[in-house]
Amino acid sequence: MPDPKSKIEQLVSSLEELRLHLGRKDLLIGGDRINAQLYFCLANSCLRGRAILLYGGMGANKTTLINLLGTSFLGLDLDRVEDLMVTGHPEQTEEKIVGFLDPRQWTGQKEGPVQVLWTDWASSRWKLVNEINRFPSGKQNLFLEILQKRRISYAGQVCRPGETCYFATMNPEFSATYPLDQALLDRISACVPAYQPDFLAGLLLSEREKEVRDLAGMLPRFTESEFSSLPQLVAGRPLSSQVELAVLCLIRDFTLCERAPSFDKTQLSGSKPSLGLCSGCHYHNNPEAICWQADEGLSDRVRQDLRIFCRAFAFLLDREADLEILRAIAPYVIWHRITPLTSLLERPPYFGAGKLAYTAKMVDKSINRTMNERREINLIYSRAVDEEISASEAIEELSSFDDPIARMDFIPSLESRQ
Amino acid sequence: MKLSSFMDSAYPQERAPTRPSKGRKDMIFSLEDLADRIGERPDRSSVEELVGEERSQIDLLLSSQPGKRCALIWGYISSLAAEKSPEALHLPSFDYAGLELAKGCIMMDRAGDHVGERMRGGRIVVQQEAGDYLGQEMKGGGIVAASCRDYAFRQMKGGWGVVKGDAGKFLGLGNTGGRIAVQGSCGQRAGWMMRSGRLYVRGDAGEYLGLLMSGGEIRILGSAGRRAGWQRKGGSIAAGRLGQEAADGVLELG
Repeated sequence: MPDPKSKIEQLVSSLEELRLHLGRKDLLIGGDRINAQLYFCLANSCLRGRAILLYGGMGANKTTLINLLGTSFLGLDLDRVEDLMVTGHPEQTEEKIVGFLDPRQWTGQKEGPVQVLWTDWASSRWKLVNEINRFPSGKQNLFLEILQKRRISYAGQVCRPGETCYFATMNPEFSATYPLDQALLDRISACVPAYQPDFLAGLLLSEREKEVRDLAGMLPRFTESEFSSLPQLVAGRPLSSQVELAVLCLIRDFTLCERAPSFDKTQLSGSKPSLGLCSGCHYHNNPEAICWQADEGLSDRVRQDLRIFCRAFAFLLDREADLEILRAIAPYVIWHRITPLTSLLERPPYFGAGKLAYTAKMVDKSINRTMNERREINLIYSRAVDEEISASEAIEELSSFDDPIARMDFIPSLESRQ
Repeated sequence: MKLSSFMDSAYPQERAPTRPSKGRKDMIFSLEDLADRIGERPDRSSVEELVGEERSQIDLLLSSQPGKRCALIWGYISSLAAEKSPEALHLPSFDYAGLELAKGCIMMDRAGDHVGERMRGGRIVVQQEAGDYLGQEMKGGGIVAASCRDYAFRQMKGGWGVVKGDAGKFLGLGNTGGRIAVQGSCGQRAGWMMRSGRLYVRGDAGEYLGLLMSGGEIRILGSAGRRAGWQRKGGSIAAGRLGQEAADGVLELG
């Protein structure tokens, strides 16, 4: 019986001992302090059909770390894994990335379906899109179809590489980069900042005497069965009811908007909180309400991502998939998908640069509210749904609560049941 | 699984309700909400009465961003919070912070306008620049600021103020008490209509120093601008060097 969990632990310690990755331990989960960049990559390696984006300046070990993990998980040489990635630039085309029509079929006499020569990247189960924001906006659309899918189609033919791990990297905005489309960002499950090594890490890295290529060969290798067994092991981790409830409320906190069609902020086009939509709204400037603090609502993909990454972290850290994990990982799952109000983000201690920290604060608020102040409304609503109390009685009770979920979700839902 | 069973498992323990005992409708959710209840002219006693003693309620309101309408209310809440806080309270740079402060300590990186207005006690420390009307009408306590803009310590009745850098125009206008020390320079018309109290400036002062002054004491270590002590009726003015047209009785220290 393979034991991939212990092999992952070996991989983590090998990366540190071989001076291949010495990131700051910037993520606190319960009592465990871990490096977010490494652990999100590991979590994504344990999942299939999810994409994570490493975001940071040049030389922050983004691409190399993913390739090193690919070396270990796929059991391939580093050179071979590096051949599997595509790098963004304006001259990239679908033909170069995915595959192209085999020209030999036009000269032969054989009849039959069109032959496509798929690239290594297309047929690989480990896909890295390097420097994704160097693809022009139009070409980014290609990835809308590919990310989180099991199959790639071209010229009527389909390539089925199987369940795939997707990774992407990007630099901050430079002169040759392009903004990422919101729809593409929504398909990215988590965005993790990659920081430059700190003082001590820099000192340790200078002790590295061999080339990365040579050291990569010393990393533990996973067998095919071990790599394939990871998603099942993650799926075996149960989520607590508290996490399920907190995830649901978190999504609704961001998505509900009193002034949007069907109270759904994702329907907004043109008008948004930052353009004055919330002026005069009852919830505007209420620090406990999340709705007016960010322009975008969250899609159902966020719910799926939060649940699956909670499980993956519970597996990696060998603990319950509890609220501590959700609190820690949710900001990374959400922050690239939203635009907080500039007036709020520019205040100390964020100074316009702490978007992740600001998102973490919003997440914290939502979870705390769900676990404390929302207790009563959730219980009233659930009893009404289960017909333990009448809908009209529940509506009357709920109407005395000034909570967006009670007002815009629970009451309309109960009204429709009457 | 029934939804109520799911909720019961999410909230396993029967806990005391977290809502305040004064009734759920009395919970104040925002400064706007509080402003609606107080009406057009907020005062400290009505804010104190409505907000109550509960720390979470004060924190909730204090963390709001006050619009123009709620600036005074936020100021009163900042004072209530500082008075209840066992340690120095760090506040963002909104107007009216420390309004009618009686005790406690407030720390700010920058200060907006009207900070420390009508304060009676306690301390306010502003690490960087303060806005207009710093310590206006203060009666007690002390303020330290790196620098300040115009009308600082206007109509001061007591307490003390220290400006580590430069102060703007109309410093100590109409003062009837208190002590002001400026380690940098101050703009024109410092000590205008001053009736009592002390004003000490280590640097230079602008023109019309002590204009129409009737009491108190002004000391300028550097030079004073033109017309120092113009139409002075009482009090004393001394400056290192005097500008043109200084009034009779104004002392040049040399």
